[in-house]
Amino acid sequence: MLETRNLDKSFGAVHVTRDVSLKLERGERRVILGPNGAGKTTLFNQLVGELTPDSGSVHLAGEDVTALSVARRARQGLSRSYQKNTLFDGLTVEENLGLAASIHTGHASRLWSDCLSKPEVREIVQEVAEQVNLMPYLHATVSEISYGVRRQLEVGVALATRPLVLLMDEPTSGVGPEMSKGFHDLLNNLPRDLTMLIIEHDMDLAFDVADTITVLNYGEVVFDGLPEEARGSSLLKEIYLGSWENA
Amino acid sequence: MFRHTPLRYAALVLLIGAALTQTFTAGYFGLEILIEILILGMLVLALDLVAGFGGMVSLCHGALMGVGAYAFVTLNVLVGLDPWLSTLAAVAVTAGIAWVIGAICARSHGIYFIMATLAFGQMGYSYIFESPLFGGDDGMGGIDRFDLTSIGLDLNDSKTFALFCLAVLIAVYLFAAAILKSGLGRSLIGVMHNEKRMKALGQNTWRVKADVFGLSGIIAGIAGVLAAQHILFISPGMLAWTVSGEALVVVILGGLGTLVGPLIGAAFFVVLKHQVSEVTSHWHLVVGVVLIAVVMSRANGIFGWIEARYGAWIDRRLTDSTRTETPEEILTDA
Repeated sequence: MLETRNLDKSFGAVHVTRDVSLKLERGERRVILGPNGAGKTTLFNQLVGELTPDSGSVHLAGEDVTALSVARRARQGLSRSYQKNTLFDGLTVEENLGLAASIHTGHASRLWSDCLSKPEVREIVQEVAEQVNLMPYLHATVSEISYGVRRQLEVGVALATRPLVLLMDEPTSGVGPEMSKGFHDLLNNLPRDLTMLIIEHDMDLAFDVADTITVLNYGEVVFDGLPEEARGSSLLKEIYLGSWENA
Repeated sequence: MFRHTPLRYAALVLLIGAALTQTFTAGYFGLEILIEILILGMLVLALDLVAGFGGMVSLCHGALMGVGAYAFVTLNVLVGLDPWLSTLAAVAVTAGIAWVIGAICARSHGIYFIMATLAFGQMGYSYIFESPLFGGDDGMGGIDRFDLTSIGLDLNDSKTFALFCLAVLIAVYLFAAAILKSGLGRSLIGVMHNEKRMKALGQNTWRVKADVFGLSGIIAGIAGVLAAQHILFISPGMLAWTVSGEALVVVILGGLGTLVGPLIGAAFFVVLKHQVSEVTSHWHLVVGVVLIAVVMSRANGIFGWIEARYGAWIDRRLTDSTRTETPEEILTDA
């Protein structure tokens, strides 16, 4: 469903992505691990088109999308959430979801009709709000909801475009342990045919959700395999999991 | 998102009521001021649409109004086309030019967007100023107002023309509000809030900005046609950047991103200008002081200030109605 072939990116002398090749099957849930500065978010930015790789290619559902803009890739089914909330602050939760849904349905560019009142848009808003537990907050503006609920909305807005592949950059970033547990259930309850690529530092969540795990270090894939194999990998313990194992 | 709150409805009704009262009570000079306010109101609505809801602060909207005026007069007076057809064509030309300007400038942001629109406006001004076809520095005359005598209206009468302009302004306001409540308008607001996210969701943000800039050009074009019919003479000065600058001042004075506010700003600006002009020719100084005061007050213009006060009053009322009395207050009451 999503594939990268020999992706490479440098900023001056700093090599941030080194020959990264990944292949995600339909419905696969892959978690990307790696220490700070490993190039995880930079890789995401190249996948969605916010950064252009120096070499290599990105393929979505068999099509080479490397030359496509961010918006074109999104319309083809690649959606992402951000590590820092990038919501529409003055709008309500319902309007945030509705705007994303109406872009997907094509109503967001039309004149003379209110996209938010369209039945197909309302249906997506309802469905996504239930999936990410936002029903009680639909009429609250972003500034009125807690940080944790905003993180849910961040994922919800990405989901409302009905993506083929959902990229999530640290969905639990900054939330407490209680809310983090809620995110486990939230991610596990998403449709099984949705392909997900998740950057996550929360090890419990990573091993709970992941079908496969990829570990990046200095922009390079140093591990690619099943969660059980990841737990037993000495290389992984050395570069990343030591602190987790000892915790 | 754009919302019609009860306060905004009330402000609109008050404004329309005041305009009607002025129409039926004022003399010739008062009617001329009213017409000036109504036409400026259209221009600032066009500007508020792009600046207040799309973050596109334009310094070429005065020039767009001038394009509408010149296109109308060229087609009607020079070519001899029917005035209604000339109006339709002039508005279409203005919208088309606005779309092109919007499409080119939409890829820039902030100060660069402002400078790019300023450059386009000044290009238009220079071209008209130096073009013999459009009368150059001398401008163009020979303009007639629409002939509505078939339905019993004589637009050469200032009172009737003021009512006509008011009706057009109301239609233009409803048009702008309809745009903002449409999918395109909601996308525009989304782009202003977070363009990066809108792109990541799949929206072609460049196209959204260009389209709304073009629609805003329709309103500016209508204002231009009416401005030409009001003064019955047009000159390159209509396209000068100072006209765009004044429109921006009016939008900020009234309340950016409120639609109603700029209309209040237009009335305030024109009345202040004429009142102060009676005392001194340096009326810009007074407007400047008022603008500085409004900006320094951190309120969103005059209407923003009213909305903030009204909101605080509503909050106080809600708090008072839900507050339980302390034992001391109960004893005092007893």
